[in-house]
Amino acid sequence: MTRERRIALLGLLVPLGIIVLWQAAAMMQKTPLFPGPGKVVVALWTNYPVILKELGITLLRAAIGFAVAVVTMIPLGIFLGRVRAVGKVLEPLMDMLATLPPPAIIPLVMLFAGTGDGAKIVIIAYAAAVPLLMNTYEASHSIHPMLSKVAKSLHLSRFETMRLIDWPSSLPMIVTGARLAIASSLLVSVTSEMLLSTNGIGTYLQRSQETFKIDAGLAGIAFISLAGILVNAGVFRLEKKWLFWHYRDQRPAE
Amino acid sequence: MNAALLAERLRVPICIALVLGSWQVIFALGVVPEKYFPSIPTIAVAFWQMLTDGTVISAWATTFLRALIGLVGAAVLGIALAILSDLSPVLSRGIRYVSDVLQPIPPAAFVPMAVFMLGLGTKLYAFVIILVTVWPPYLNGVAALAGVGPVQLNTGRMFGLSNWGLLWRVKLPAALPEIFTGIRYAATISLIAVIVSEMLAGRDGIGFMIFKKAFALRTPEVFGLMFLVAINGVLLNGLVNLLRRRLTGWHIGMMERPE
Amino acid sequence: MTGLLTASGVGKSYGIGSARMPIIDGLNLSIAKGEFVSLVGPSGCGKTTLLMCLSGLLAPSEGAVRFKGETVTAPPIGLSVVFQDYSRSLLPWKTNLENVLFGMRRVVGMDTAAKKAKAAEIIAAVGLSGFEGHYPWQVSGGMQQRVAIARGIASQSELLLLDEPLAAVDAQTRADMQDLLLDLAKRFNQTCVLVTHDVEEAVYMADRVLVLGPRPTRVVREIKVDLPKPRDQLTTREDPAFLHARHEVMALIRAMRQGKALA
Repeated sequence: MTRERRIALLGLLVPLGIIVLWQAAAMMQKTPLFPGPGKVVVALWTNYPVILKELGITLLRAAIGFAVAVVTMIPLGIFLGRVRAVGKVLEPLMDMLATLPPPAIIPLVMLFAGTGDGAKIVIIAYAAAVPLLMNTYEASHSIHPMLSKVAKSLHLSRFETMRLIDWPSSLPMIVTGARLAIASSLLVSVTSEMLLSTNGIGTYLQRSQETFKIDAGLAGIAFISLAGILVNAGVFRLEKKWLFWHYRDQRPAE
Repeated sequence: MNAALLAERLRVPICIALVLGSWQVIFALGVVPEKYFPSIPTIAVAFWQMLTDGTVISAWATTFLRALIGLVGAAVLGIALAILSDLSPVLSRGIRYVSDVLQPIPPAAFVPMAVFMLGLGTKLYAFVIILVTVWPPYLNGVAALAGVGPVQLNTGRMFGLSNWGLLWRVKLPAALPEIFTGIRYAATISLIAVIVSEMLAGRDGIGFMIFKKAFALRTPEVFGLMFLVAINGVLLNGLVNLLRRRLTGWHIGMMERPE
Repeated sequence: MTGLLTASGVGKSYGIGSARMPIIDGLNLSIAKGEFVSLVGPSGCGKTTLLMCLSGLLAPSEGAVRFKGETVTAPPIGLSVVFQDYSRSLLPWKTNLENVLFGMRRVVGMDTAAKKAKAAEIIAAVGLSGFEGHYPWQVSGGMQQRVAIARGIASQSELLLLDEPLAAVDAQTRADMQDLLLDLAKRFNQTCVLVTHDVEEAVYMADRVLVLGPRPTRVVREIKVDLPKPRDQLTTREDPAFLHARHEVMALIRAMRQGKALA
């Protein structure tokens, strides 16, 4: 067995150890309010249809909010990045926006829009908007000066330059922003459901707490983690596939 | 001086003026009902009211301190774990499994369950904040320690440093800038974790206060408190940056030097 | 002034008032069709700025650059530039072939298949057949520069401006690429203007060497290189005519560096 694999296997001892400690602590507490890992697995098995259904709702809202942010923020970011006069002056506004975390706007949105889908999507869109805007702006205004020289020397029109050179070269940074935005969307989707409970996995967690079903709640958390891992891994795969040229774009092969 | 340069120099006041100005315009136009969109003076008055009757100050302090202490605890724990991980690859892998599973979970999700296991006080906040905030400093620390160049390490060995000495005198200082990047990110997360915990299970703090005011339909206060949350973020980041300059000023100078 | 590319009274300065920094002042030159001309001068004299003005990437503060009689305001069709920084001049998301094709966008009278065939032919001419499907970052620096040169030639431009193209290439590859450039220029009938800091390269490659003065720069001497073409790395460099020209250029540059009056 290679050293790599040996380390990978031995490393499993850490999470296993934690689970063992957890089980021991649960057995010592002896209360249904502190379930051990065994109970959580059982709850997972019995509840997974419900959990998956609720999770689906959460993911759908996250996707819609993310889409709204993409459609609005990428053009805006490009505009602010290219029209330097406007972009430079409005930079402090963007920085100010970044200091206001999404949970802080939830009560306000609740006042405006109640607790329904619309309210949650607004909050999710806000959370996704910040990294998307900042990264798109950054990518658009820090395009390497050489590229514009190359474009001109190849006799490209302004529009052609934007489409064929600026856009592909900005993509890596924009996609990084999108990856952060996707993670944010998921996070905030769950959080918004916990504070504005109607449906979704966040509401499921709240209900589990209200009915003292801690094991079901922990099972729900496990699924949230799984969803996050899968989505992030998927995005990463797509990134590597479309932007392979950026990640290999290091020193020449000599 | 032409207009563009002038605009750039004055951009912070311009932005502030833009925000306040358009706000007042929207208010004056009455497009949105006043109970949802109060005028700036109304917000200012309400804010002042909260300040002077002491409710906001204590909430502010509570929230800020929770975020700060949580951040410090998470940073220290993260760095400690990173050092241990640097010494033991097995431990590093093991913790990686744990962080991969825990990182995607929003802090809010932990709160309902943690309330049962840890009650409603400091232990709850400490648990939730640290569970969520420890990862950026830890992950950055591990990457930075592993990424210290062979040239620096060999130089250290040449000066007779043991492995232990190498860690403290060469690797850790070299890793500090990247660790601080992680701490800056953690500062944002820490504040979010505190606010969200206060909203869900709190009895004090700004998070709790915002929801209380929202339920009481006191919109001006809600806006005022949102502004406060943003200021908290700026303050926390400011503190982290101060420490960063003191501890890694050499790196900042190096990075900011023009070509 | 006639010629494929002319510069009349060209000046370029940055800044205004007391902070004014003239880089070029009163520069005249003329490049005839079919020539290979080298521009060489002391370090920092403004060679690259001059090339930027000649190509239309930079607007001169005074005077005018004309290409085929028309004043240049932007890189004109028929003129191509090969930059020094090859890693940034080729597009990393396109293969070598696609990069060369990209330079052919403005070529008329050829359909896609014909363009592809032509691009492949030129890639073979620069010695890179087999690497069409590779990405620029998958091949060495010298090879990347060859792709950039191929792109310049493929665009069917009449004039090729080369900004210290071999400066970032290792010494052994450099010699091969000098010969390659000369061969390509002859084969594809390219008029070339080569900016370089390497005096030997300037003399080896050119029919005419234009020596640039220190800032604010202008052409201080024109030296005809009376050597037969094709050139040879060994025999040409030992030829008395080569050594004479080389001596003249180097002495001139040395005098300029030492601030002496120019003879």
